[in-house]
Amino acid sequence: MTDFLELTVSIGEAGCIYGLVALSYLLVLRPTGIINFASGEWAALGAFVAVTLIAQEKLPWIIGLPLAALAVGAVGWMTERLTVRPLVDRGTPVLSPILALLGMLIFYREMYSWMWGVDNLFVPMPFGFGRVEIGPFAGTSQSFFIMAVTVTVFVLTWFFFEKTIWGKAFEAVALNRMAAALMGINLKLVAGLAFAGGAVIAAFAGILQAPITTVHFLMGLPLAIKGFTALVIGGVGRVEGALLGGLTLALAEKLTIRYAPIPSGFALGIPFLLLILFLMIRPGGILRAKGAD
Amino acid sequence: MRGFTIWGVFIGSLMALAFGLEGYAADLFRKLLLTATLCVGFNFLFGIAGQIAFSHVAFYGIGAYGVVILGFQLDFPLPLAILGAVLTCGVIALLVAIPSTRLEGFFLALATLAFAQLFSVVLLQGGEVTGGPQGLSGYPTPDLFGIKLEGRAYTVVISIVFLSTLAILLLIDRSWFGRACRAVRDNSATAAAMGVNVFRIKVAAFTLTSTLAGVAGVSYAFVDNYLSPIVFGLEPMFLLLFMIIIGGTGRHVGAIIGAILLFLAPEVLEEWVGRHYLLFFGILVVGTILFQPNGLIGMWETLWKRRNHRVIPR
Repeated sequence: MTDFLELTVSIGEAGCIYGLVALSYLLVLRPTGIINFASGEWAALGAFVAVTLIAQEKLPWIIGLPLAALAVGAVGWMTERLTVRPLVDRGTPVLSPILALLGMLIFYREMYSWMWGVDNLFVPMPFGFGRVEIGPFAGTSQSFFIMAVTVTVFVLTWFFFEKTIWGKAFEAVALNRMAAALMGINLKLVAGLAFAGGAVIAAFAGILQAPITTVHFLMGLPLAIKGFTALVIGGVGRVEGALLGGLTLALAEKLTIRYAPIPSGFALGIPFLLLILFLMIRPGGILRAKGAD
Repeated sequence: MRGFTIWGVFIGSLMALAFGLEGYAADLFRKLLLTATLCVGFNFLFGIAGQIAFSHVAFYGIGAYGVVILGFQLDFPLPLAILGAVLTCGVIALLVAIPSTRLEGFFLALATLAFAQLFSVVLLQGGEVTGGPQGLSGYPTPDLFGIKLEGRAYTVVISIVFLSTLAILLLIDRSWFGRACRAVRDNSATAAAMGVNVFRIKVAAFTLTSTLAGVAGVSYAFVDNYLSPIVFGLEPMFLLLFMIIIGGTGRHVGAIIGAILLFLAPEVLEEWVGRHYLLFFGILVVGTILFQPNGLIGMWETLWKRRNHRVIPR
């Protein structure tokens, strides 16, 4: 039982990271229809900037975390401005920006390996290696830190979508671009903000994960694939779906590694099996989008 | 008549290279031919049939691993092992195509990406059968109908594989099937209204091109007599996609140009920038999509048209 409770904490930790990446996809996908595979690279960039600011410049986490996230947000905004907007303006099919972002994925990744090298880098934990026990749950301080930050990010995003006029504008663009534009919503501004916001949230995932894993220029793509799987599991329409999908994916993964009688290497295949399964059987995910029929 | 001349020069120069090159250059040439074979096949699937499938390189791998496992672990005679590997590819491709071609747009890419990644997991975790991360090596160079599959003779065999793949794709591209594929790509609803069976066309295009990738994979198995899971991973798949986009999506010549350019570029670029040559590929792809969506072949045709005031049929 203690074994299972500790597993719960590690599921929560992994699920939160996947959920953040899924949320990053969602933020871009809803208003623009673009599946942005570069979001994994944004997470990696967050981790690399955290290496520079927190590990090398010795900034405290409370300053380093938001600074790194903002820096990645600026990169996200620039990406939209330089590679996506010209294509959308020209009226190309949505596939063109998706492929352009795949090219950007390779571009980003090679830039990181050029700027930060190909060796594993480390970020210190904000609260040290201490073990924390909250009721029956026990885990590292970082696990609880990750969950706390993720919940905060999700609550803020949920609040943004549900309670602010800007959130309503995003939703309106997602439901009907033409009508939204006629109502005076600035489509370009919404797209720019979606990419910037998506980049900030992906960066959070990368920065939070950095102290538990190492920072490496190839870390982006696996995160991108798992985040996308989480998104498909949870449903592409709703903020809380992203977190639910992340947690479901982490649960399936960790339970298979711990309890299933197969070599642990095969557990690597779990996200892909789930992705195929959900795409085939329930492409809308667990939670349906609001306003979708 | 002009068509015959072009084909004559093309096949002639291929054969001249196959017989003339030696050592490292011949090895490079063989791999270039296989890359071009994959490219023309993937171009048909992606550029002409409009399906972005990230599984093409996985089928290349199924062909390669298939022939080695059948031929040297289960001790089938070589012709039977080749046939078996190609058939396996076809059957798996059909099984993947039937459910996944129902997915629209980029969701097909994601389902096939998941399939390709599953294949990678199987290669890495397959133990003795697939050799795990070390891959398969140490199997002998076989004879096929009395010809030892190495050196010049094997370069000729690979040239024939490349030429027949290209010929098959060109022939079906010019038949009703190619037109049906283009119709489904451009607007599947209109195609269906014109009496095209959209589902069957999609499944057939996927199965055919994936099986051709398997044939290329079978030929790859004896190029190095060494199979590594890295060769059949996601990175080569991205590269294949980039080759098509840079060369010119949907154009056979474009696919070959893209394959030649991106395959040979590292040979030159590695001396300047080490392994960062991928950075240039990223920039090149994004630049192509932004400024020259028809790729290099489209750029060349625009220049040609401007000079000769001729209209080139699409």
